[in-house]
Amino acid sequence: MTTASPISWPTADFSRIPYRAFLDGNLAEQEQQKLFDGAYWNYLGLAVEIPNPGDFITTYVGSREVVLTRTETGDLSAFVNSCAHRGAQLVRRLRGNATSHTCAYHQWCFDTKGSLIGVPQQRGVKGKGGMSKDFDKSRHRLLTLHVEEYKGLIFGTFSPETEPLPDYLGAKMRVEIDRIFNRKPKLLGYFRQVVPANWKLYVENVKDPYHAGLLHLFHVTFGIYRPTMSGKVIMDIDHGHSILRTADIDEEQSEVNATYAGIDKYRENYRLADPSLFDVAPDYDDKVTNMIMTIFPNLMLGQVANTFQTRHVRPRGIDQFELYWTYFGFDDDDEMAIEGKLRQANFVGPAGYISLEDGEAGRLVQRGVGSRPDGSSSVVEMGGRGDIDDIDSLATEVAVRAFWKKYAQVMG
Amino acid sequence: MSTTTEEVTAQLVAEVTNLLTEHAEILDQNELEKWPELFTHDACYRVLSRENVAQGLPAPIIYYYSQGMLKDRVTALRDALTYEFVYTRHITSPPRIKLTADKQVHVQSNFSIYHTTERGETRLYAVGAYEDVLTRVDQQLRFRNRDIILDTFAVPNNIATPL
Repeated sequence: MTTASPISWPTADFSRIPYRAFLDGNLAEQEQQKLFDGAYWNYLGLAVEIPNPGDFITTYVGSREVVLTRTETGDLSAFVNSCAHRGAQLVRRLRGNATSHTCAYHQWCFDTKGSLIGVPQQRGVKGKGGMSKDFDKSRHRLLTLHVEEYKGLIFGTFSPETEPLPDYLGAKMRVEIDRIFNRKPKLLGYFRQVVPANWKLYVENVKDPYHAGLLHLFHVTFGIYRPTMSGKVIMDIDHGHSILRTADIDEEQSEVNATYAGIDKYRENYRLADPSLFDVAPDYDDKVTNMIMTIFPNLMLGQVANTFQTRHVRPRGIDQFELYWTYFGFDDDDEMAIEGKLRQANFVGPAGYISLEDGEAGRLVQRGVGSRPDGSSSVVEMGGRGDIDDIDSLATEVAVRAFWKKYAQVMG
Repeated sequence: MSTTTEEVTAQLVAEVTNLLTEHAEILDQNELEKWPELFTHDACYRVLSRENVAQGLPAPIIYYYSQGMLKDRVTALRDALTYEFVYTRHITSPPRIKLTADKQVHVQSNFSIYHTTERGETRLYAVGAYEDVLTRVDQQLRFRNRDIILDTFAVPNNIATPL
């Protein structure tokens, strides 16, 4: 156990965030204990990644490497990737198919549910040695997680106290999950970024519609996202989840011009030599151009134009995280729809016109806050102070405050 | 691919090497505007994660299918995008060249790219392979297809300027 004191919050409405939250290495250990090992659901993967019995993938719950697999009977199972004998990494490939897992070190063998099924030389060799007579294999299971699935999204938790997954996701988030996963997803690939920033800076970023219309010129100029569009921030404050949703409706050009007067981020005369990137038929007729959901603590489910992704924010110590994108289309997409999604991969991922800047924003903040004196805090007041409520506006940082409110409740 | 008996001449090797070297030089000298000119008008340019390629998954990190899109990238890098300034250094291996019956020149070369910050700190940024199909435009070899297989698919932060 670490002895780091909890963060003391300067304001009750979380409009001030002490920069210590991004700098104090002791907090990373506390987050593992209280948050990732706590009574919360951690995203593990998509059901389409492990369609067949024995299929497995490795992922992370906080800093713990975890294997997610499908058992012979089609159930889901997950365990910490460490042998119950001497702790060696058990599963050595990132993905694969196996109905049992044998540790390389002493060949202890486990089934997909984490039960120990084989111990070489248990009864010794030539009548000598071996395990004690009372050695009981059933007492040496892998460290397993509780696993539940909702509409193809798979989550795990170490705590027996965690509420059922649908309740945890909550009605407000389920509406948007259902909207996307009413079709069977089709895996298109993965992207990875190793960002030199604390993981919570990325969570802040995706809960912050204020920056989206100011940092991302491309976004703004080509109409994927502007604060003058119809926007909503929808929150499940008790659980720490949120949705930022933007639809290309109710926008007046005069409002766009007024909003960007004097700001060099909206360029009326910016033209692409090849704008065909935007000639992709929409997946839904609701004119949603941008939707980012955050499931507490560290999963994003996103739609940017025609692209769909999960983004898993994997902490690596206090000042680095891996952003792991799972990029998907849908089983009923025709060839042209898939081609459209491949073309619009240019918006997202490590090199994406929009997303590459979010990695840079994280780097800039981590670098900047490291230069500040102890005890200083960020200012989170766009959208007002005080109560934390849903709002039909994108000129707001209220969902950032809601995240910290939940974080503070968890971390004590 | 069907290969011909036509020989890879010393002159072709020199021309291919020259194109690869020119590509590296243009990028390392920050002459981005010249970069699209090394490609044909109908060029297809992709950056692919080796992880995805190994699994047969199609999602590209970058997918441009015209010279215009390469120009758009340059315009965005110059005028629109926010990213860290670094000096780059591309190290490209000698090319492996094959000719096909339709006179396309298939070239494979490996690369490593180093980034150096404004403060002079150098780090290995990316390793991978260029898989190119070259064709002649006004006698000059140009990239018609370029697939960049990125071994460093756990990308250090992001990819801004061309690999």
